[in-house]
Amino acid sequence: MSEKQITQQGASTAKLAASDKLSAYFRNHQMVAVESLAKLLSTPASSLLTWLVIAIALTLPGALYMAVNNLQQLSGHFEASGQMTVFLTTDIREADSNALRLKVGSLDQVNKVVYVSPEQALEEFTEYGGISEALSFLDENPLPAVLLVEPPLGIDKDELNVLVAQIQSFKHVDSVQVDMAWVERLLALLALAQRLVVVVGVLLALAIVLVVGNTIRLSIAARTEEIRVIKLVGGTNAYVRRPFLYSGFWYGAIGGILAWLMLGLCWILLQGPVAEIAALYGADFYLQPLPFEPTCWLILSASLLGLMGSWWSVQRHLVAIEP
Amino acid sequence: MPMVRFDRVSKRYPSGNEALSGVSFELARGEMAFLTGHSGAGKSTLLKLMMRMEVPTRGEVIVDGSNLSRMREGLVPYHRRKVGVVFQNHQLLFDRSVFENVALPLLIAGTSLKETGRRVRAALDKVGLLGKEKLNPIQLSGGEQQRIGIARAVVNKPALLIADEPTGNLDPELSAEIMNLFSQFQQVGTTVLIATHDIALVERMNKRRLILQDGQMVAGNTASEGVTHV
Repeated sequence: MSEKQITQQGASTAKLAASDKLSAYFRNHQMVAVESLAKLLSTPASSLLTWLVIAIALTLPGALYMAVNNLQQLSGHFEASGQMTVFLTTDIREADSNALRLKVGSLDQVNKVVYVSPEQALEEFTEYGGISEALSFLDENPLPAVLLVEPPLGIDKDELNVLVAQIQSFKHVDSVQVDMAWVERLLALLALAQRLVVVVGVLLALAIVLVVGNTIRLSIAARTEEIRVIKLVGGTNAYVRRPFLYSGFWYGAIGGILAWLMLGLCWILLQGPVAEIAALYGADFYLQPLPFEPTCWLILSASLLGLMGSWWSVQRHLVAIEP
Repeated sequence: MPMVRFDRVSKRYPSGNEALSGVSFELARGEMAFLTGHSGAGKSTLLKLMMRMEVPTRGEVIVDGSNLSRMREGLVPYHRRKVGVVFQNHQLLFDRSVFENVALPLLIAGTSLKETGRRVRAALDKVGLLGKEKLNPIQLSGGEQQRIGIARAVVNKPALLIADEPTGNLDPELSAEIMNLFSQFQQVGTTVLIATHDIALVERMNKRRLILQDGQMVAGNTASEGVTHV
């Protein structure tokens, strides 16, 4: 009688209800997450080494991104201006040039037109020295009259092209020159730099996966006995995997946060010198820190890379350990 | 339905060594039996087959109604939770306390903390180590370590308890204590199978004896024989 009672009790308590199982599952996740972080913190020296490797690997593309981001904003100022110089034919008469100035000024996409007569141009040239002597050899003023045309800020490239074509088609207009070539070159360089960020980023992401994978491999090797015992008393592969995956996650996440701090430090160190240079050029520009959204992406992708590294390592090494 | 059924089971290792050949036997629910034989006779292989640590080359191993040869890999852990196992070398983890060692199967099965504490203490009480739950197993004697192993094997209240040379390193007095412990578990309904080469002890216990010789079961393979004397 008493025997039977005990065994029946044993059978009923050994089984768990589905809701209990679910809460036990989440409790295990929570516990493993905390424990694996505590384990990393309990060996601060070796963990810090891995964290720093990850942080440095992330700081490099992060800093590049920051630089490109800043240059883009800088180029944005110039791109938006799109000022152009309209050269008039030399045979134009005063009255015609006045009419042309008004005509160009009445266009929708033109904010301001300044007329520079050949005489004014010659005067400006003489001020710059050197050239004035060469000019004095000539019998007459070789410089054409010029219209300086300023389109509204923020005009886009297509609109600008239409405007150029329009002005070009007017009578007495010799040629139109938009001071955009160097901006375009800068943009092309920026596109290259952006590509570079991606390439460097991908390579270093791969490095992070390998570093975390190798670290996890070592910790699996150190815990072989424990894994064997856990599998022996009914631990599933998922259960055995879990602490290692969380470790990988923590390596990545904390490495990401450290990278963010390093980028912040770079920003603090460079902000002063950049402001000085900007002041020398008379530009209203200051170095932007890494914006909020890319910061989130940085830390999130670091965490995912850590997770990937540990997953890769776990898949390779954990399955081999059987009791 | 018997708790354990071996049907013409053979196990050949990749090295070519045939550890078991054509072994058939049954173990009824609540029965206690000894598995004896010279070293290398296949005792460990037989126990490993019951834990699904090995898969038979031929034949079928059925434990608690499940055919282990056809069991999906993903279900193996759940099978192992139903079987308590004790090893000669204890397989304890020395980086954690006695309590944590015994609690491991419950932790894995997701038992609540309160229930875990209750059951671990009950298991430790049963093996006489209740006062030592906070110690590290390394601080305890060989006999005590073996009893931690037994507490861990029974804490989940398994239907089947198997032991591989559980008294291998112990003196006769301690060995007898451990065996008595096993027969107490049988008394509450657990099926128990113990592999040992301690013939003297086995004879004193007066239980059914399965004898392996060169991978073949030479005695005790039918339950009707009851206690087999050789």
